[in-house]
Amino acid sequence: MQLNSNVPSGPLKDKWDKHKFELKRVNPANKRKFEVIVVGTGLAGGSAAATLADLGYKVKNFCIQDSPRRAHSIAAQGGINAAKNYPGDGDSIFNLFYDTIKGGDYRAREANVYRLAQNANNIIDHCVATGVPFAREYGGLHANRSFGGAQVSRTFYARGQTGQQLLLGVYGQLCRQIGLGGVEMFPRRDILDIVIVDGCARGVVCRNLVTGEIESHSAHAVVLATGGYDNVYFLTTSGMHSNVSACWAAYKKGAAFANPCYTQIHPTCITVHGDYQSKLTLMSESLRNDGRIWVPKNKGDKRSPDQIPESERDYYLERKYPSFGNLVPRDVASRNAKLACDEGRGVGNTGLAVYLDFSEAIERDGEDVIRAKYGNLFQMYHKIQDEDPYKVPMKIYPAIHYVMGGTWVDYNLMTSREGLFCLGGANFSDHGANRLGASALMQGLSDGYFVLPYTIGGYLATQSLTNVNTSHQAFKDAEKQLTEKLDKLMNINGKRTVDDMHKELGLIMWDYCGMARNDAGLKTAIQKIQALRAEFWENVSVSGSRKDFNQTLEKGYRLADYLEFGELLARDALMREESCGGHFREESQTEENEAKRDDEKFCHVAAWEYAGEGKDPIRNTEPLVFENVKLTQRSYK
Amino acid sequence: MNWLVRTFSCSVAKKQFMAVTGLAFCCFLTTHLIGNLFVYGGKDAFNAYVEHLHALGILIHVAEAGLIIFALIHIGMAIILYFQNLAARPVRYKKKSNAGGRTLASATMPYTGLFILVFIVVHLVGLKFADHSTTTTFDLTASVLSQPATLVFYIVAMVVVAFHVNHGFWSAFQSFGASHPKYTPIVRGFGILFSVVIGVGFGFIPIALNMI
Amino acid sequence: MEEKFINLTLKVWRQKRGEKKGKIETYQAKHISTDASFLEMLDIVNDDLTIAGIEPIAFDHDCREGICGMCGQVVNGYAHGEEKGTTLCQFHMRRFKDGDTIFIEPFRAKAFKVVKDLVVDRSAFDKIIQAGGYITAKAGGAPEANIFPVTYETGELAMNAAECIGCGACVAACPNASAMLFVSAKISHLALLPQGRPEAAKRALAMVRTMDACGFGNCSNERECENSCPKNISITNIARLNREFLAAGVLSTAM
Repeated sequence: MQLNSNVPSGPLKDKWDKHKFELKRVNPANKRKFEVIVVGTGLAGGSAAATLADLGYKVKNFCIQDSPRRAHSIAAQGGINAAKNYPGDGDSIFNLFYDTIKGGDYRAREANVYRLAQNANNIIDHCVATGVPFAREYGGLHANRSFGGAQVSRTFYARGQTGQQLLLGVYGQLCRQIGLGGVEMFPRRDILDIVIVDGCARGVVCRNLVTGEIESHSAHAVVLATGGYDNVYFLTTSGMHSNVSACWAAYKKGAAFANPCYTQIHPTCITVHGDYQSKLTLMSESLRNDGRIWVPKNKGDKRSPDQIPESERDYYLERKYPSFGNLVPRDVASRNAKLACDEGRGVGNTGLAVYLDFSEAIERDGEDVIRAKYGNLFQMYHKIQDEDPYKVPMKIYPAIHYVMGGTWVDYNLMTSREGLFCLGGANFSDHGANRLGASALMQGLSDGYFVLPYTIGGYLATQSLTNVNTSHQAFKDAEKQLTEKLDKLMNINGKRTVDDMHKELGLIMWDYCGMARNDAGLKTAIQKIQALRAEFWENVSVSGSRKDFNQTLEKGYRLADYLEFGELLARDALMREESCGGHFREESQTEENEAKRDDEKFCHVAAWEYAGEGKDPIRNTEPLVFENVKLTQRSYK
Repeated sequence: MNWLVRTFSCSVAKKQFMAVTGLAFCCFLTTHLIGNLFVYGGKDAFNAYVEHLHALGILIHVAEAGLIIFALIHIGMAIILYFQNLAARPVRYKKKSNAGGRTLASATMPYTGLFILVFIVVHLVGLKFADHSTTTTFDLTASVLSQPATLVFYIVAMVVVAFHVNHGFWSAFQSFGASHPKYTPIVRGFGILFSVVIGVGFGFIPIALNMI
Repeated sequence: MEEKFINLTLKVWRQKRGEKKGKIETYQAKHISTDASFLEMLDIVNDDLTIAGIEPIAFDHDCREGICGMCGQVVNGYAHGEEKGTTLCQFHMRRFKDGDTIFIEPFRAKAFKVVKDLVVDRSAFDKIIQAGGYITAKAGGAPEANIFPVTYETGELAMNAAECIGCGACVAACPNASAMLFVSAKISHLALLPQGRPEAAKRALAMVRTMDACGFGNCSNERECENSCPKNISITNIARLNREFLAAGVLSTAM
């Protein structure tokens, strides 16, 4: 497979402008002749659908939930970055670009990241214009906070629910277009196949989650914005319906899957309890601005936190990283929590937790100030853990939260399959091997509002696409194949529930492809996943009917895809024999247990190509070239 | 004029009709109560007040016509709202609990309203449209209210009015959007006070009449 | 509080897709951890039902952290359960005692048709937003963000309203199945911000009309909505809607 990133030539800061100028444009009168399918209604999908419709394209927009307002972007808490430099602390577009590319451990494309940093300021302006109520100073201007390892205050926020407010802004724009007739909305649909005609993506096949019917939809281009694949780990902070199925279908239709092993472990999640647990809950890392992370100095210290004197506490992040302290990037904070617990210094019943302590901040600023900043997070913690974090330190532990890997795309956000685009969390493009806090929202909106609307025009303007509708044989074939697969699943009538098997897969992934990975473990994981997959197709139990609202069936086919995808993730992790960002190979670490990159061998994107049923996938590489930053060992000391 | 119909047929406008007519009735109740306080001045004082009122001539008829129109609007809207609200939940809950907002007064508005309507009819037939030719208003009232059943009915009716006003008063302000962190607590407090004054003020008159 | 394990009797509304009527079925929930969330309890019951060959109970959910607004059932007569300011996914079993009986019903309103079991169709909310719950702004034409100063207090008020998650608990709890709290939250959020003012009159009229057309009941100021709202949205927003509507209907040129 030939991977051409299509990054324009020229100086970094002029690339995007130059590219926009060079892109062919679709005449306004012709736009209404083009139909575009957008899958997903999160920040990326929703903003893309709304903007494309506003430009005049006919858009069909799909989502899993009952309403486009419920996409999982809504759960992002902390904020969104932009280089506005409102606080006057020396921020700039280049600074935001530099932090993001360094934070990603130099595994992202320079040009993409720079464009992201450029668009960030426009995003803030547009969001404000659409009514997003970002926090304000008393004077009426916008407030910013420092977040997730940045040494400047560049994060815009709306209490602890920035993702919600941004998504509702996007949802408003989308609703406007639905009302005007520019977007036709299809809620409660699972996209289960991508239809290719003459080498180009020309439609999708989906399951109507209410009626169970298999439906086909044709278009001139297909845009996937289906979010991340983290639920392969079962216990994550993702929404319960988040899945890899659409991207996996795309993978099988020629859209390479890049860097699946880049998973992000968020350091501040509420700890795991009971095996019935369905979901992990994130506590925004903004908490690390005021909370101090510590464990007891001595192993197995089971005293309650208030009984442990200052001298016997180890504020390990402050000790090891004096300049960043508790604000080190997510991968570093997570790994250190694991190290502390592995040493036997973890707290709580399971020993898999560290303290996040606010007592000093409360003493310094008063409880009211802390409540104003984090009130909703504290309340959420209190509800789940039944402990008052104003009085007792929070117990937190890292958890799977985000994935940097995803469908490979070029500079135009087009996948390696013509006419198939991929946006936001579903693609691999901007975060390298580790995403900084408050950058996911930025990427989703940048892709949807400010990148795709230009680049898709460049594609459509240069194609001579024949008219295709759903009576085309390719649709019929895809429908038949899907129906057979679903019937097969319905007829296994085994003894294990879908959730039970998903939990097993999740544990395999967490144990062998979690915070630390090694050669032997990854090989074991691949074997175990293969065995579980075989068992799944013989022993899973899916009740109800295929032609009905059937949540067990939904979970079943999503898990079937995860059982294939999980193996690819492990293979990618196995082949990448270096540590970088969220991917930590135990064989590749510095003397101080920090991630050690191997730029000689692995300064590239690994894009996996489907080779057919039962065949090993092919690992293609796209070299990463750095002309504007110097690759260094990340240091937060 | 299409906008007029479109605007005033909306749910919010209906509530605002309820509010404006309801507040008008509150004004009426206030003047009525002030007038009735002449009872405490004795028979002559009260009859003099009645004479004085009747001497207003056309004005009194205008006021009465106004009250009738307001009553028709208030009752008409109430009936529409009641049935719309009923239709808005065709399948009822098997188990429904009070989340903490509902009060006895708010939950019973349609029923207290209906009771008040019955009371008004009885009140008008028994006093206003009764034969005044052989007696004074004071004597007529005293004799009607000397019957134990009527006495009890009147007192109960005044308690019901108090409940209706208790929810209706602040609710009218809310429906108009007159809500303000500084003034709303005053309105709510005044509403409670007002409902008590109306209930006790009117409710004590039949008792007082029997004691005089 | 220490983790305990309890047994419960569930009285659950079951209704097949496409059928107008349903009924209450009784199930046993066994060995439920008091640390489990309400939805996790239902997961356990569903796994037991699946193994027993009974179709699991259909219910909506997604984020399970109280923000997406997808979940929602009426539990023992309370929308999202008895705990204030909490979505059902964040409502924990420690609120129940061993041996309790729990009634579980869908959000009931004419405008929220039951899809299946506890799943209802809340697309009426989308229709209301489509009618005007937005600010018209093209991607590319926005002025500098700081051009609209918003006082801290106004920003807070707007944010209080904007927190609405569109779950429909206000409708479920309202004795009249009115959607006024939902509609008022969006109208308030946008009317409070300077960017939202140009369309305020048009928005108020259009959203209220659409709300009426969807078959919701009328507000009678019972305050059950604000007491059931998982985001504690206040009825002062309804007051703001009322005055925005009045001003729009009588004073503005919007038709």
